[in-house]
Amino acid sequence: MKEKLAGIVGGLSANYADLRYEENRKTRISYKGKRLVEIASYETSGGHVRAYAKGGKAVASFSAPSRAGAMAEAVAASAAIAGGRRDKPLRLAGAPTVTESFPISSPRDPRNMSVQEKLDLVAHYNDMILQEPTVATTEANYDEFVSHRVFVNSEGTAIEYDIVVVNILGFIVTKRDAVMQRVRFAFGGNEDFGRLQNREEELAARIRTAVELLDAEPAKAGLFPVILDPSESGVFIHEAFGHLSEADGLQNNPAFREKLQLGANLGKPLLNVFDDPTLPGLPGTYVIDDEGVRGVRTPLITEGVLSGRLHSRETAAEFGEPLSGNMRAVDCINTPVVRMSNICIEAGSDAFDDLVASIDKGYYLVGAKGGQTSGDQFTFGAQWGFRLENGKLGPMVRDINMSGELFATLQAISMVGSEIEGSERGGCGKAGQMNRLSGKATPPIKIDQVTIGGV
Amino acid sequence: MHHLIEQAKNTVDQAELYWKRTHSLSVSYENNRLQEITENDLSSVALRVIHEGKMGSTFAVSPDQPGLTDQAKTASAYGDPATFSFAPAAEYPTVNAHDASSGRLTSDDLVALCETVLEGIRSRRDDLPLFVEAELEERELVIETTEGAAGHHRATDTVLSFGAPIKGAGMPVVKWRGATTPQSQPDELVAEFLEWYGWTEKKSTPATGKLPVIFSPDASFLYLLPLWAGLEGNAIEKETSPLIGRLGEPILSERLTIVDDPLASGELGSRPFDDEGIPCRRRALIDRGILKGFLFDQRTGSSLGKASTGNAVKRELFSDGTETKPSPWPIRLSIDPGEQALREMIAGLDEALLVYYGMGFHSGNYPQGQFAVQAVGFHIKDGAVVGRLDNTMISANIYEDFKRVRAVSVERGPALGFLTVSAPYVLVDSLQVAGA
Repeated sequence: MKEKLAGIVGGLSANYADLRYEENRKTRISYKGKRLVEIASYETSGGHVRAYAKGGKAVASFSAPSRAGAMAEAVAASAAIAGGRRDKPLRLAGAPTVTESFPISSPRDPRNMSVQEKLDLVAHYNDMILQEPTVATTEANYDEFVSHRVFVNSEGTAIEYDIVVVNILGFIVTKRDAVMQRVRFAFGGNEDFGRLQNREEELAARIRTAVELLDAEPAKAGLFPVILDPSESGVFIHEAFGHLSEADGLQNNPAFREKLQLGANLGKPLLNVFDDPTLPGLPGTYVIDDEGVRGVRTPLITEGVLSGRLHSRETAAEFGEPLSGNMRAVDCINTPVVRMSNICIEAGSDAFDDLVASIDKGYYLVGAKGGQTSGDQFTFGAQWGFRLENGKLGPMVRDINMSGELFATLQAISMVGSEIEGSERGGCGKAGQMNRLSGKATPPIKIDQVTIGGV
Repeated sequence: MHHLIEQAKNTVDQAELYWKRTHSLSVSYENNRLQEITENDLSSVALRVIHEGKMGSTFAVSPDQPGLTDQAKTASAYGDPATFSFAPAAEYPTVNAHDASSGRLTSDDLVALCETVLEGIRSRRDDLPLFVEAELEERELVIETTEGAAGHHRATDTVLSFGAPIKGAGMPVVKWRGATTPQSQPDELVAEFLEWYGWTEKKSTPATGKLPVIFSPDASFLYLLPLWAGLEGNAIEKETSPLIGRLGEPILSERLTIVDDPLASGELGSRPFDDEGIPCRRRALIDRGILKGFLFDQRTGSSLGKASTGNAVKRELFSDGTETKPSPWPIRLSIDPGEQALREMIAGLDEALLVYYGMGFHSGNYPQGQFAVQAVGFHIKDGAVVGRLDNTMISANIYEDFKRVRAVSVERGPALGFLTVSAPYVLVDSLQVAGA
């Protein structure tokens, strides 16, 4: 296969071309309440080709392998058309050629396990939740993605690599009278099925929280200092800041590019943020990206100052910055885009109790619950929280979200906790691609002021 | 009949083939420069079977992939009890959704269209990092069942969108339109974009309190998704919908008539049959405020002793496509226009909001008709737009607040994304607004 694909990209009239072919297996098992709504295990395959010619770029996806040659020709021609329309040619930063294989091994390899075993585990967790009398409904989903990829380019890179990721994601929905609460649980996020097993204690704790929330008070709207738990601080740094580190989004947005020059002061000296695909065990861990570039740790904010950015070969050339190996596609029908691997906030020196003790009146937000950003505005929900009063954790609160403006909020991070927690199960939407291979490792943080809204 | 269905008759009790092939071409400009030309040639298959009273499904790239029927049959051993049969043979309505001249568009044509837009805007202001995208998709959908359904639908979609990020805020102002026929020079849309972009240059925050709010067509999802969540069969089946038992009752303002209109000629999303091969039909969901009908696919319909309404769509809130299970969605919503022009609407308001997007929708309790979002749009004062909203939350319960609709515009525009919609501007009398 590699030789055949290399023959195709080698024969094109283009300055550069690459071709990725994938064979994927997806397994999904899904319970809603007592109902097993889906069980499916199936294979898909397809390819993606990119070409740069005369300073222009074109890409194509195709399902039938027999179409590879014709699509590659079409893409080379389109790239030349695109180049003819540009006053400023697109260029690629130089990258070493790689000719290796990167298989994945796993202590408990989901590829070698039966569907029955997977079904039994999800059913077991789902049953545990259904035992609780206040539970109105549940969701328990097993999601497995196995991808074998071949990538070749016209410069001689020819690699094979694997992606294997399993996770269980679910929701516990409790209800009493008009109050309904929804708490999430997620296990896994890498190639080890073992991480999905023996998680009953954590699930039981989540179920208790979902029940306790029925008696919690709704949050009051207003401006408050807050502590974000690692789940919430991870989502905040990923959504509100991390996406602005992705150079492809920034490349054509002059206003943000101006604001986000390396060296810009974005926060207090205690704030250190980096992206790292080499950290073991997190959802966004990989060796090589979908452009054949090795992933490396990239500092993003160092002592409050913008110190790096995530790149493709194209954006690295455009910005004159080093390659980072962050160009990834969720599967063969998509073109790669620049995305975070595992975004991390470096541990600070503050104990959690000190964070709490520093707040007279505020909130502690726990458990990310979706959110949205647009430009410099963000809004995120929390699954639950606690009132903070006179330096102590107060009663539990529900229906809580926070919103604000990114740059002011980064500057308002005034304490960073010392204990890091890594996320299990990634999930990040960009350019219509939902990426499971996106991780976070962050400590709790204190923000001096955000807008708290009731839901 | 496809040989997969023919052969499946020997292996399983019933089978349903869903096979989608698309060819798409798009040209995108970013910051005034041609960034990328994309061409896709894709095929995807979903096979559902019923065997020994249970459902199973599998997916593939091509119906010729070996072993599909057996895979689906294996899955059926674990599957849901089948409460319905796959679609029988039916006469499908004729829908004009394919245009041969759209199918012949080349990347040169799309490049030329994008450049017309760029020139149209830049001749009037040249300081914006404009993005423009012109897309064409040609699509062929086949649904065949062992029970006799044989649906074959071809469609072309052409979409033109353009905009620019707001200075100092990064979020964009976007204008777009779509049809089955090739897009022509969008002079009116360019003029509208320039006016709206001009409105963004000053920030303005309204006072906290109750204010009238105009929802643009693009913002219609804020009230239509909560409505969908009340109309769709799963919520009726689970008894979580606030609309249970309310057929024939007024639930929204009498100024609102909302129709599921899958058969409209030349419109994006029009189609003769749904994703289970059941014929689509034009149906009022809300007639002058009165609840007229719910949305069922085959499964939810059968569990409630009702027929499918032809509303099965392979879509969930945040995902769609061949590998998604069908569930009940409107095919193409159309809200009847009113009598007032948007300009008159704005001119008649002392203080109000014009909202074209809301952030944070899905953290709200929309299944019960509520939403609370950060409003993206404009602040109106003394009959004119005075600036873009900054740090402004709006919240509503559609079953209370949308009973008081003051006006509906003559103009209608499209919305895509969660739902395919043709909607007017809707002015709601008073909503809770929280400014900073």
